[in-house]
Amino acid sequence: MKKIHIISTIATLLMLAGCSDFLNRESESILSNEQVFSDQNMITSVLANYYGRIDWGQSLERGGDYCILDEATHSSGGPDRAQDYWDDIWRVYDYGLIRNINQFLQGINSPSAANLSDAYKKQIEGEVRFIRAWTYFNMCRCMGGMPIVNDEVFEYSGGMDITALQYPRSTEAELYDYIISECTAIAQLLPEGRTVNAARVNKWAALMLKARAAVYAGSIAKYNYLTPEVKTAGGEVGIPADKANGYFQIAYDASREIIAGGVYNLYKNNPNKGANFYEAICNKSSNEVIWARDYYYPGNTTGFTNGNIASSVRGDIDANIMTPTLNIVEAFEYINDRDGSLRTRTADDKDYIYYDKPEDLFKDKDSRLYGTIVYPGSDFNGIPMTYQAGQKYFENGEWKERTGNINSFDEDGDILTSENGPNKSDDQYINNSGFNLRKFIDYNKDASTRGRGSDMWFVRMRYAEALMIASEASLELGKDQTEICSYINQIRERAGIQLLTHVTLADIEKERLVEFAFENHRWWDLRRWRRAHLVYDGMADTYSSVHYALFPFIIKDTTHPQNGKWVFDKLRSTWTAVYPHRFQFRHYYNFINQDWINRNPKMVKNPYQ
Amino acid sequence: MKNLLKIFLLVTLTVTAVSCGKDNYDEPDSLFSGKVVYNGEPLGVRGSNGDVYLQFWQDGYELQTSFNVYVAQDGSFSAMLFDGTYKLVMNNNRGPWVNNPDTVIVNVKGRTTTDYPVTPYYTLKNIDYSLSGNTLTASFDVTQVSAGRSIEYVALMVNKTKFVDFGDGTHVNWVRNTSVTPGRVTLQLNIADDLNKQVKLYARVGLKISGIDQGLYDTEVHELK
Repeated sequence: MKKIHIISTIATLLMLAGCSDFLNRESESILSNEQVFSDQNMITSVLANYYGRIDWGQSLERGGDYCILDEATHSSGGPDRAQDYWDDIWRVYDYGLIRNINQFLQGINSPSAANLSDAYKKQIEGEVRFIRAWTYFNMCRCMGGMPIVNDEVFEYSGGMDITALQYPRSTEAELYDYIISECTAIAQLLPEGRTVNAARVNKWAALMLKARAAVYAGSIAKYNYLTPEVKTAGGEVGIPADKANGYFQIAYDASREIIAGGVYNLYKNNPNKGANFYEAICNKSSNEVIWARDYYYPGNTTGFTNGNIASSVRGDIDANIMTPTLNIVEAFEYINDRDGSLRTRTADDKDYIYYDKPEDLFKDKDSRLYGTIVYPGSDFNGIPMTYQAGQKYFENGEWKERTGNINSFDEDGDILTSENGPNKSDDQYINNSGFNLRKFIDYNKDASTRGRGSDMWFVRMRYAEALMIASEASLELGKDQTEICSYINQIRERAGIQLLTHVTLADIEKERLVEFAFENHRWWDLRRWRRAHLVYDGMADTYSSVHYALFPFIIKDTTHPQNGKWVFDKLRSTWTAVYPHRFQFRHYYNFINQDWINRNPKMVKNPYQ
Repeated sequence: MKNLLKIFLLVTLTVTAVSCGKDNYDEPDSLFSGKVVYNGEPLGVRGSNGDVYLQFWQDGYELQTSFNVYVAQDGSFSAMLFDGTYKLVMNNNRGPWVNNPDTVIVNVKGRTTTDYPVTPYYTLKNIDYSLSGNTLTASFDVTQVSAGRSIEYVALMVNKTKFVDFGDGTHVNWVRNTSVTPGRVTLQLNIADDLNKQVKLYARVGLKISGIDQGLYDTEVHELK
């Protein structure tokens, strides 16, 4: 018994002695300011962490997000049964990131960073402040005005009065003003030259964000009268109409500064206009891209190519998670006709129009169609692409069809339904709409395998947007039509379609839809113009509310004079999207989470909430 | 070994029996119900898709979370609750009536009934349906109660289930009139196809108010077959 006493006493003493030393050890997982700011590699990795936390909205991370608008539809597997949007769709609320950035800013100005050169300090300060402004911008377009914490890093110690830490929401105008003034300051801090793979921001990205924020704020100020209930009494949502011109002037000046800067241009290196448009966006040497979310192999890749590539050129089993709709294809104009509807039927709708080859249907379309979408009869990196839903034959005065499973043949060995479909099947990885995406899809076959992934970047800002904002802002400011047209026509000339002599806001909307398809613009555009509830109105007979597909058929009927020709059916794609999309007034701004209000009772709710 | 098993069983049984009483809460057992009413008359709304709902809040706790009580087609709502005092709130512009910022306080004790009063923009009264041959006719009085919002359209809809409204999945056929003024309104719809195809068929009329996502409906659905 005594022995035990002795042992336990010794053990206790040992423990007590060991404790003091143990507790004084430095953490191996938390780095001090001295450790970070004395080493540029450490600083770069902190920046990389911030850059990696800002993939919001449509991006290469989540292909399915494209299907809830009218750009693409849910091909692989069963149909999408969604009818309504949801109250927290694409909602951004990241004060954690803002706090980290403010801690970083404190670090730059602390003695730990004394050894850094002033030029370098200026640049990293500009970069993190840009990321902070971008975060606020994303929160603002989701929810309107939100608390602005400036450079504050809040510290809490037990027993203190937390109401001092609870900031009320700013007005929507105040938050846009803050973003704009930050961008003005950031543009002075950042270098002017292009950055490697456009992965890091420079002066022009700051000006682009300034122009974008200003044109958003201007159009909300001008058009929020169209949705009079979508506002709050305190101005957290809604901007007074008299502020519109001021914002449009800022957007006008900032976008023209980018144009005059001469560092970026419209990419025109490839004489083939269709291929040129693909390269302008997907080639990392493009002189058009100002800021992108870059990826690299090996190490940081996405499965976007793997999931959304066409069946006949895939490198793995996956394909066709989402495929473009007929809606977006028809939004592309013809070279000499502003109505882009595909001519599948005669004018009196009594008969098909018969085509020798499937690609003839798309003859004289806007070259950007090729650059954005793989359509029947086009190619994928030189490989011809066949889309055949089935065969048609004429019997008893009407057309009938023979279809089979994917990649099936008839008894003569002719294709019944091609590998690329389209087909109404609910099976996985089958094309249901008759098109595939080209923009942001990697031509490298290995990149479409599950294990490897693709290093294709996602373009966040490019020169064409500066032109479009200049055009829109000059239109809203009532400038001369010659000037308004001069910007938008550079884009149309590059695309090879007729130039305009008179531009309306509807023209701007249409141009932005096709130029920036799949680049995370459409949703925000329709919201700031207060058009979304009309475009996605939940009615089955509203073209933009529902998804359409194009089913190509070859005629196999030796007794018919059109034997061997191609015909096309435009079909409402209820097998990929059952219901029309219904954008209600409450979807103009995301809801404020009750949990945030519990923590900060000064936050007011959004309309309809 | 046998003893060990016995002890194990005994301990397990005791623990299980004892913990039962401790772990579980009673389920809520007070039925609360009511109707959305104007002058004591219920108002018909869209009952599908969870479109129209009331929020219940309860004070006295540090953190708040509301829960939704959905309004049915005939304007009624109900929930099983614990006894207590609740606040009943309608979300801004979520129903086809004038925005009502008032909070209705409800004391739930046992079976409780409380109506939620609102002021509609319009009312639908004296609704008659008649079927002659394949033509369905509905006529009704549209009365304006509050100014400020125009009529976007009135519609006569039929559906194969008892849910009949403006939603795309909740009518198989409809006719709309977009130029309607208050007074007696008559709508006609040819439903030959629907009578042929559907096993069951129900009709209902509704009035869509411009600027609000919602419409006002007949509180009843009319069974055609």
